[in-house]
Formats: sequence, C-alpha cells, structure tokens
Amino acid sequence: MTVGISLIREHTEMLKPPRALWVPFPFGLPLGHPDDATEQRAVVDAVLALLDEPDVPVLRDFAGDLAPGETGTSIQAGAVEAAPVVLDLADEVTTMRRYWEQWTDRSGRTAVGVSAVPPVKFRGVVRFLEAFVKGEQRVLPEQGETPLPLFIRYCADDLRVLYLEARLVMRPDESQADTQRWFWGETTLGSFLRTLRDVMNDSEDELMRSCAYGIAR
Amino acid sequence: MPRLSTLPQIQRNMLVTRAVERNEGSPRATLARPLAESTLAIVTSAGIHCRGDAPFGREDPGYRVIPSDAAAADLLQSHSSLAFDKTAFIRDINVVFPIDRLAELVAEGRVGGIGPRHYSVMGALPDMTELRDATAPELARRLVDDAVDVVLLTPT
Repeated sequence: MTVGISLIREHTEMLKPPRALWVPFPFGLPLGHPDDATEQRAVVDAVLALLDEPDVPVLRDFAGDLAPGETGTSIQAGAVEAAPVVLDLADEVTTMRRYWEQWTDRSGRTAVGVSAVPPVKFRGVVRFLEAFVKGEQRVLPEQGETPLPLFIRYCADDLRVLYLEARLVMRPDESQADTQRWFWGETTLGSFLRTLRDVMNDSEDELMRSCAYGIAR
Repeated sequence: MPRLSTLPQIQRNMLVTRAVERNEGSPRATLARPLAESTLAIVTSAGIHCRGDAPFGREDPGYRVIPSDAAAADLLQSHSSLAFDKTAFIRDINVVFPIDRLAELVAEGRVGGIGPRHYSVMGALPDMTELRDATAPELARRLVDDAVDVVLLTPT
C-alpha cells in the first residue's frame, strides 16, 4: 500500500493517488521545518493514519499554513539585485570554505559532493568555470565521462551548497529567504552564476541551454 | 505549498501547464497486517542518492537505491530544480527523507520495521512517460521483492 505527501493539491486532485496528505509547507520541506522533530512527527503520524481510511482516494489537509515571512518557493536570482563584483571569486570561495569546515565539524555532515571534487580543490573549480565563461577550455579529472553541461551544473551546485552551509555558521538563525537574498544579492558567486547562466544560454548545445535553467533564474 | 491560486502568475502558469496524469479512480489495496507488524520503505522524488552514486542528470527518469542503513552524512541531493531551497535539506534530511522519524516509530513499536532499501527518483520531469512506464513498475517489483508492505511517498 502507498501513502503520500502532496505539495500541490490541485495536481493531487487530478492524479488521485489512493491516500495523500496535503501539507502547507514550501517546496523543499514536505515533512515540515528542519530541526523540528515534533512537527515532522505530526506529519508522519497524519500521513500514516491514512492507511486506516476505508475508502479511496482520500486527500486530507494537514493543519497549518506558511510561517510568517515564508514563501512557497525559493527566492530566485531574478528577484534580487546582484552585488557589484569586488572580490576575486576564488578568494571568496576560500573564505567560505573556512566557515564550511566549521559546519562540517559541527554537524558531521555536508551536502557538498555531487561534482565529486573535494572542496579543498574548489579554487580549481572556480578557474574551470571562469575559463568556460571566457570560452577557454580547462579540464578537471573529476568530470570523467559526465557531459560538460551537467558537470558545470554539479560544480555550481557544490559551490552554492558550500556557501549555504558556511552561512549556517555565520547566521544560524537567519530565515531561508534572507539566506537566499544574501547569496544572490551579496556574494560574488551569486553574481558569477548569473554570468555563467547567460553564457550557457547563448550556447548552441541544447543540453547546455537546458542546464542553464538549473544554474540561476 | 500554497494553492496555485496564491502563487505568482509565472509560477502558476508553469505548474498548470506541467503534464499531470488525470485518473478517474484510485487502485484499492488492503494492508495485509497491522502497521505495527508491517515493513515500510520510502520512495522519494527528492533526487537523493548515496555519495558516490551518479547524480541525477537533466530530466533523468531513472532511480537510485538507498540502503536503509545509510546515514544522513552518506546522502546527497542532485535534484536539478531551483524551485526549492536546499537549505532545509542541508540542515535536516528529515524534511524530505524522514529516516529519523521512522526509526522512532519502529522503536516505539508503531511500525514493524524498515525495508532493506529506500528508493529515490527526481521529480519535476517534463515528460513522465519513462518514469511511469519503466521506472515505477521496476520499483514496485523491487519493493515486493524487499517484502515491503507500506510505501511512504515523499516529494520535495
């Protein structure tokens, strides 16, 4: 038997899965807010309770609403004015890595890793991406057989996640929306990713253009 | 998630035009044994996978296997969408993949046990055909082979 969580109620009404619980949380946190085990447990209890429903389909609503100041989706680059670039990106990454190391020491975990490039080599990732933007070729051995557009996205993802983990050390109580505004509005990486996206969008390679959408919007 | 009617026009249009299956009814199944004696597994569309596994590619309709003894530190998220903020996942994997909450339920005797594996796909696909016709049936077979009674589906 299946039970599921719904984020877009209108889609679930069309799909008609047997048992679904609609939740009012933003994209990215369907089980509730991070580090709130009580809320997460209430969601899990409510969704598993649907197993006892005799008739299907059943679509229940979880009580609650977005938290004050919370938006349903992530703040995007297009909603924030980019910072003037005053720092060398590689130097900024090195600074962020020092905070990131505190995060990994503290949490015992990192979500950095999809590119398979170790963070100690992220200055090289920056030079790789900067070379691409200039139309030059530079190779990182971790790319292996991965198509270039995807590898660029994985590198961009890892840099962004490193910054977000660093920010959790700098401002542990900051709202997610403010963290995104900081990232897109105050960091050199946020500005650079817009440029990277634009260069990818100008490519004749369809995969490169489609991957640009995952770099910045 | 706010209802579509409350979202900005551009995002509402994107979601309204997304291909969604329209079904007339739902498959009916009955739990073979009480939840306290049942085995549960997660299937998530959050694009999660083990560190070292191939990340999800652009519009990737495949799946990844996550051993149920994998720790949060072993798991990454390579979902290509920027519509959600990864900060929540970074802080606490349970926001999309509630392994700690399920472990509590097993310890309390409310769930019989956790299957040997969980499974992950990537949502937000513009074309669901391969996911529906190939990936989902294969996942169903694997879950039956894993002797799983209850599947918890989580999005992101």
